[in-house]
Amino acid sequence: MTTITADHHGDHAHDHHDADHKPAFFQRWFMSTNHKDIGTLYLIFAIVAGIIGGGISGLMRAELAHPGIQYLHTWAMFMDGPEATLDQAYHLWNVLITAHGLIMVFFMVMPAMIGGFGNWFVPIMIGAPDMAFPRMNNVSFWLLIPAFALLLGSTFVPGGTGNGAGTGWTVYAPLSTSGSAGPAVDMAILSLHIAGASSILGAINFITTILNMRAPGMTLHKMPLFVWSVLVTAFLLLLALPVLAAAITMLLTDRNFGTTFYDAAGGGDPELYQHLFWFFGHPEVYIMILPGFGIISQIVSTFSRKPVFGYLGMAYAMVAIGVVGFVVWAHHMFTTGMSVNVKMYFTAATMVIAVPTGIKIFSWIATIWGGSISFKTPMVWALGFIFLFTVGGVTGVVLANGGVDDVLHDTYYVVAHFHYVLSLGAVFGLFAGFYYWFPKMSGRMYNEFLGHLHFWVFFAGVNMLFFPMHFLGLSGMPRRYPDYPAAFEHWNWVATMGYMVMASGMVIFFINLIWSLAAGRKAEGNPWGEGATTLEWTLSSPPPFHQFETLPVVD
Amino acid sequence: MKTVKSLVLAGLLALAPTLVLNGPALAQDNAVVAAPAAENAAAPADSAANAAAPVAEAAPAAPKVAAPPRMKPTEGIGMPMPGEITLQKQFSPTGHTARWLHDVLLLPLITIISIFVLVLMLYVMWRYRRSANPVPSKTSHNTLIEVIWTVLPVVILLVVAVPSIGLLADQYKPAPKDALTVKVTGYQWYWGYEYPDNAIPEFVSNMLPEDKAKENGEPYLLAPDNRLVLPAGRPIKLIITGADVIHAFAVPSLWLKMDAVPGRLNEKSVFIEKPGVYYGQCSELCGARHGFMPIAIEALPPEQFDQWVLSQGGSLKGAAEKTAEAAPAATEKKI
Amino acid sequence: MATLPPSPFDRDRRNRRTLVTMALVGLAMLGLGFASVPLYRIFCEQTGFGGTTRRAEASSSVRVATGHTLSIRFDSNVQPGMPWQFYPEHPTDTVTVGAKDMAIFVAKNMSDKPVTGTASFNVTPTQAGAYFTKIQCFCFTQQTLQPGEEVRMPVLYYVDPKILDDPDNRDTQEITLSYTFYPVEQGKKAS
Repeated sequence: MTTITADHHGDHAHDHHDADHKPAFFQRWFMSTNHKDIGTLYLIFAIVAGIIGGGISGLMRAELAHPGIQYLHTWAMFMDGPEATLDQAYHLWNVLITAHGLIMVFFMVMPAMIGGFGNWFVPIMIGAPDMAFPRMNNVSFWLLIPAFALLLGSTFVPGGTGNGAGTGWTVYAPLSTSGSAGPAVDMAILSLHIAGASSILGAINFITTILNMRAPGMTLHKMPLFVWSVLVTAFLLLLALPVLAAAITMLLTDRNFGTTFYDAAGGGDPELYQHLFWFFGHPEVYIMILPGFGIISQIVSTFSRKPVFGYLGMAYAMVAIGVVGFVVWAHHMFTTGMSVNVKMYFTAATMVIAVPTGIKIFSWIATIWGGSISFKTPMVWALGFIFLFTVGGVTGVVLANGGVDDVLHDTYYVVAHFHYVLSLGAVFGLFAGFYYWFPKMSGRMYNEFLGHLHFWVFFAGVNMLFFPMHFLGLSGMPRRYPDYPAAFEHWNWVATMGYMVMASGMVIFFINLIWSLAAGRKAEGNPWGEGATTLEWTLSSPPPFHQFETLPVVD
Repeated sequence: MKTVKSLVLAGLLALAPTLVLNGPALAQDNAVVAAPAAENAAAPADSAANAAAPVAEAAPAAPKVAAPPRMKPTEGIGMPMPGEITLQKQFSPTGHTARWLHDVLLLPLITIISIFVLVLMLYVMWRYRRSANPVPSKTSHNTLIEVIWTVLPVVILLVVAVPSIGLLADQYKPAPKDALTVKVTGYQWYWGYEYPDNAIPEFVSNMLPEDKAKENGEPYLLAPDNRLVLPAGRPIKLIITGADVIHAFAVPSLWLKMDAVPGRLNEKSVFIEKPGVYYGQCSELCGARHGFMPIAIEALPPEQFDQWVLSQGGSLKGAAEKTAEAAPAATEKKI
Repeated sequence: MATLPPSPFDRDRRNRRTLVTMALVGLAMLGLGFASVPLYRIFCEQTGFGGTTRRAEASSSVRVATGHTLSIRFDSNVQPGMPWQFYPEHPTDTVTVGAKDMAIFVAKNMSDKPVTGTASFNVTPTQAGAYFTKIQCFCFTQQTLQPGEEVRMPVLYYVDPKILDDPDNRDTQEITLSYTFYPVEQGKKAS
């Protein structure tokens, strides 16, 4: 794909003795303008948010292990005071599902994928010394802190029946307007505003960096696929997030200033909110998965020692997914009572997405075909990603059929589907990328055995956790229920056991992480051998504080 | 549990429900489910939303036709089964078509695709492992194969799309003029049912508390006190709306799910093939007790349905045209 | 759209240009988000999407499709908490396609205070909305009823004969017109 002239790189750190000069601690981490440091901050933030969001899902799985209300009432007493009613406990359930969704989407996957890996490796991969707007980059990160604080804080203030915003991550009106009195929902909406602003600034920064800052010879069609994926993602963010901002601003004015944008009483329409939300929401799912596609492409190519098969097809498949992603939103609204022609259109349009997605799956396999595979931890995660994403993708084809969705909409089948593409897709992409770039970022090798063990335990756990949800959904279990009829107990119990297996996988991950940071073997510049052809592997591990002070030339 | 139990008005169980019917306009407010007089004392309606004095004797004028006995649900019909891995048994024509599409076309298709990808991956992982293939090839293009894996999915999707679009057209076929029209209203957190053709004003349906459901031989969290009684074998049109926030009226065994949106009416035509009890649950997040407003449809043979209508003080369709004029007047009296 | 130029000055200028362009794109999308409110309304009115009805002048003349009749059902709702009774005088009516007809809705204030209300409406099946044409109705006009006062509110409408040529409405035999009354609260203004 890209061949790099060898004489330009090497150890920049030694060429420029001030290239590795780092500012003092406060200056370096709180007023950072260095893309690598900001990337590290993003990754730390995402790990913290992931622990909180994952912990919440643990609470949910514990409650759902058996029918009846097990722990929820006790937790409600902790949150709302000892007089908490059962209704407040049920409300707490809605707060948990809302928080889990928002945290995982806005504060875990997006910061890790785009903020973390994007910041770390986009500038390096295109041969740029830093992002186009380093200070704006810092602002983007620090906006996330108040956003997250607002969201977490909202759980301690009234939000209707009990404390916290219990509207679901979709914040549908009128439940989120007339249905939730109290400041909690306002705080959650404000949190989304700030997180959205952070992402828009980040998106503009990435677009500018990728369009303008490439090293000589690095044409668009020579860029690594990870850079392509971040470019497409950044455009999706730029086009989708402002619409969300407008939609939730109108929610705020409906709540507080008497407007009736979504209130039928004043001539508004609650369906309009859903249209606006999903006009953002559907591209949002591609925002979460596209960088994962990019990461998988890099890894598969590296460990097969082969260039990516059908590079142009891969790049433009992502562009196609991004474009089509904007015209399929109403498949999230099949049961709202839309007319038959609209439903037919959205059924057909949604199915079209399967085509570019299929191109990607088959191109990855074709990349491996004829290769010389070494099964290092990142490769194992990438292979897991390809298969599990396929499983999540095909259930998407089932759900795309508007007529079939009538029975599956808002059931656990949907929960299974989006966790297969996001929890087993995006998150597998994150782990793959993390192991792949860990030596580069930290300068130390992770433990290969623990990495493999983490994979197998996690793989078994998430499949045990999410696969039975297909069965629950098919037999009719609705989403967002704190309690269920006894008939659903069997698979719910299996899912909860799966959660425990997955959680023990995460323990292995953290042991590996801490051990490797403290005592891991020193990593060389390119630990992966001849398959690793992108520019980050031409630098030392970790890279010098300022890289490419002499621009690399790509031919 | 105490609150829920007290909110769900007691009674109405094995005994035939003598419903006290409220005026349609104020039903939301009063939300009274009549309890048999004996049970009234045990039904302290302490919630503000549902609070209303039991007015069991309010409709003495209703003709004395005994309601058909409350139907017992059949295990495995109209409800989920323990350990079930597939769709519930279907009891409507569109349900059969949709289930066919899922079971015969989609499920095998996605299984084959997943297994195909898995086998392909296992093969390349084994065949091209480093020890077996130390020197990688440099192939990065093959136009033919790229065209194939673009065109083939398109063809497969077309094969899926044709019956899928047909199914949609079936589902949207409006009910005929002579269909029984029933109005369903979603409230926080119960359902209201009204029969405008039969001049039966709205009555509400609350979840049965656990002990009552067990006593009754019905699944807890699926069983409400008053069921939506419908005729089997006759076209039905449900008109569905929400009173406060969005709910969704869903019955999986009838392939039925439609949002109940405030300020907007949605309609859905339904045809139930066999008498039976079909359970469902609210399927759009509607607040704290979203998980506790179940749905039960009791489909009766047409003659028994007519008997039920008369027992509720309603009139049979056909005669409805005339009696409907009197309905508002009758309603007024009660308020 | 090029690779990194050697001069930092050029680089900054070009970056700033891209920044401004992208910021404008973002602002345009934000504007589109807000503009979607009127756009959605216009879209609904033009296509009948979501069961939006048509409006027409009383003088407009339409061909009466003699022999083709449709059943019209009238549905009424009152928002919980509003002390009004509101119901159609007749729950159903049969009309000839194209012929003008009138339906009466009755509203009565059951409380001992004057109450002001306003109504919204829609039509099902959704594909029929575009053909259901109202000449006169009481939607979105505020009505104040004194305690115990009862009013009869007329809706003058016809069904556009073009419905007979629409394949999507081939099976439509009954159209439902639904109204919902809401109390008008202080400080709530129509958007």
